[in-house]
Amino acid sequence: MSNIHLEISPLPERNPERSFTPEQLVWTDEERARIDAYRASYPEAEAAVMRLLWMAQEKFGWLAPEVIQLVADTLGIPYAHAYGVATFYTMYFKEPKGRFVLDVCTGHSCQVCGAYDRMAHLEKTLGVHMGETTDDGQFTLQEAECLGACGTGPMLQITNGRYVHNLTDEKLDRMVATLRETGSWPFESVTLPQDEDEMQGNRRSDAEATEKAIPAPFFHSLGGHRHDAAPSHDPLHEGTEGA
Amino acid sequence: MEAPKQTPTSKAGDWRSYQRVILPPVRDLHLLDVALRNGAYTALEKILKEGWERKRLVDEVKASGLRGRGGAGFSTGLKWSFMPPDKPGQPRYLACNGDESEPGTFKDRQIFEYNPHLLFEGMMMGAYGIGAHTAYLYVRGEYADYISHMERELAKAYAKGLVGKNLFGTGWDCDIVIHKGAGAYICGEESSLMESLEGKRAYPRIKPPFPAQKGLWANPTTINNVETLACVPLIVHKGASWFAGLGAPKHPGPLLYGVSGHVNRPGVYEYPTGMLLTDLIYEVCGGIRGGKKLKAVVPGGSSVPVLTAEMCEGVTMDAESMRDGGSMLGTAGVLVMDEDVDMVSFLRRTTHFYHHESCGQCTPCREGTGWLEKLVTRIDEGEGNLRDLDLLISLCDNMEGRTVCALADAAAWPVRWTVTRFRSEFEAKCKPSLVPGGFVSPETLGEAVADPGYVLSD
Repeated sequence: MSNIHLEISPLPERNPERSFTPEQLVWTDEERARIDAYRASYPEAEAAVMRLLWMAQEKFGWLAPEVIQLVADTLGIPYAHAYGVATFYTMYFKEPKGRFVLDVCTGHSCQVCGAYDRMAHLEKTLGVHMGETTDDGQFTLQEAECLGACGTGPMLQITNGRYVHNLTDEKLDRMVATLRETGSWPFESVTLPQDEDEMQGNRRSDAEATEKAIPAPFFHSLGGHRHDAAPSHDPLHEGTEGA
Repeated sequence: MEAPKQTPTSKAGDWRSYQRVILPPVRDLHLLDVALRNGAYTALEKILKEGWERKRLVDEVKASGLRGRGGAGFSTGLKWSFMPPDKPGQPRYLACNGDESEPGTFKDRQIFEYNPHLLFEGMMMGAYGIGAHTAYLYVRGEYADYISHMERELAKAYAKGLVGKNLFGTGWDCDIVIHKGAGAYICGEESSLMESLEGKRAYPRIKPPFPAQKGLWANPTTINNVETLACVPLIVHKGASWFAGLGAPKHPGPLLYGVSGHVNRPGVYEYPTGMLLTDLIYEVCGGIRGGKKLKAVVPGGSSVPVLTAEMCEGVTMDAESMRDGGSMLGTAGVLVMDEDVDMVSFLRRTTHFYHHESCGQCTPCREGTGWLEKLVTRIDEGEGNLRDLDLLISLCDNMEGRTVCALADAAAWPVRWTVTRFRSEFEAKCKPSLVPGGFVSPETLGEAVADPGYVLSD
């Protein structure tokens, strides 16, 4: 069976149970000011829908039908339009997700650097398959298309935000533990190789953490790696030389 | 590895002593005060205060030979000159394409993070050149952290009067709006980007009308890549002849090379165009890691044809040389693969990408990308027949050039060229065909699919 095949999401129920009460579905004054600013950035109200869907998703966690309705009403556009936009773009959550959504990039650069092995490690550690959420609701594990951090692959993104570069199994364990404990992960600024030579390190003094674009320990997930294979001890992954 | 037929020559000149200009080595250049100390916004100030005619800036950019850095490599000055004459009451727009979703491409992100003010200045100069007063910066939603960093810096620039109304006391206005995408590769296509900016599902538009005639909200619009616009202030600062003299004569200027995959030092490097691909891999990036052998290179993002190790010899990183060498420069996002990579599994992931990212508007692409994925998956799983390889090529024939935008072409090229150039690897994974079929020409494709023995797996 293909392990990179995504399920087709089922159609929403016609009269779904509400996840949010009318009292919850309101904007604060501060949010209203932001909405007005977004609205003023464009000649037409419709254009602000993407920003509002983002705001709504950050506020409510996911875009339930009533949340999309709130966005549509706020901008005075049809529900169908806002729903159409929400369903076109993959980063809008159309169903509830875990507290941390781990989008593991498996785009071609990350793929050849072992992204599927890191994915398999996460599946084992979290006890879920790709696309599932842990029972405690803490982590959703997903596969993502190229996230634009190819030099530091394999990498992942935490809930549509922070990038975590140069993944190794040890780093993933540390990240999962840190997320469970503190709920956050520092911003990693990738040091350009030429900066490394000319400036002896990262150029940002305000970077919380830095990562060099160094290759991940080398072994391959390509050619024969299967998720349905028994999770046997793989000597290939032990004691291979670093670069 | 075979010896190269002729001594390869780099077009990048003395690149070893090249001084970076897009990402100069200045600590904290991303902060406005540091950027101002290093000459940010002075090129804009110069053209505004000296009262340059729009045409003068466009001609300067034309003379520099700047070509779009987003993949197509079209002359930027020429693109600007396509804007129709002003009509009273008709707004015009500049859109900056920072979608950067082509797998293997990660150069624009370095500009967002390390030199956003150069980009803002370039956007406003682009707006000046085409007579616009609003410049939209479309950034992919995944770059959330970088968007918030840029928003902070943009707010500072607004507060200092460097962006907005009455710039440098000349009465010229220009607003910059950052538009956050939400995860769709198709938004990197310019007409689809405009749909997304208008707050719609990002279906590409039929051209003509071209964006210069009917773009954002049906008004004249020009769309340029991030790196392209970041070059504009440099051209005004240092002169068009400086720019034109850097790198490959037909494709000049500084270029951000994003190298990823199995090299010792992957990352984004700034050098003149026209670098030898082999210099880039073996000298700049320290060679293949673990001392392994080079197998294949995808030189410009996932949709360009893959090069075999032999083909990499003597090819330089500019549009003409890459075309002659059998691929395309694309976005200069170079993926390097060593001898261990299974090209079938590699292609399988790429076809999955295009299937996932097809917007679904045109049938050849919506259905074709799915078929490509299914067929390559089936071959990769050891269930494919030899004739599937011909079917793959004929599928490509039926996708290329038959859709509204170029996504179908972008999906078909890697399949066509990976299958062609690594055919023995694909054949090794295939079973002999057990039902009659043989070569499937585009004409008989319909029959072949109707064949009950021909059930696509999965």
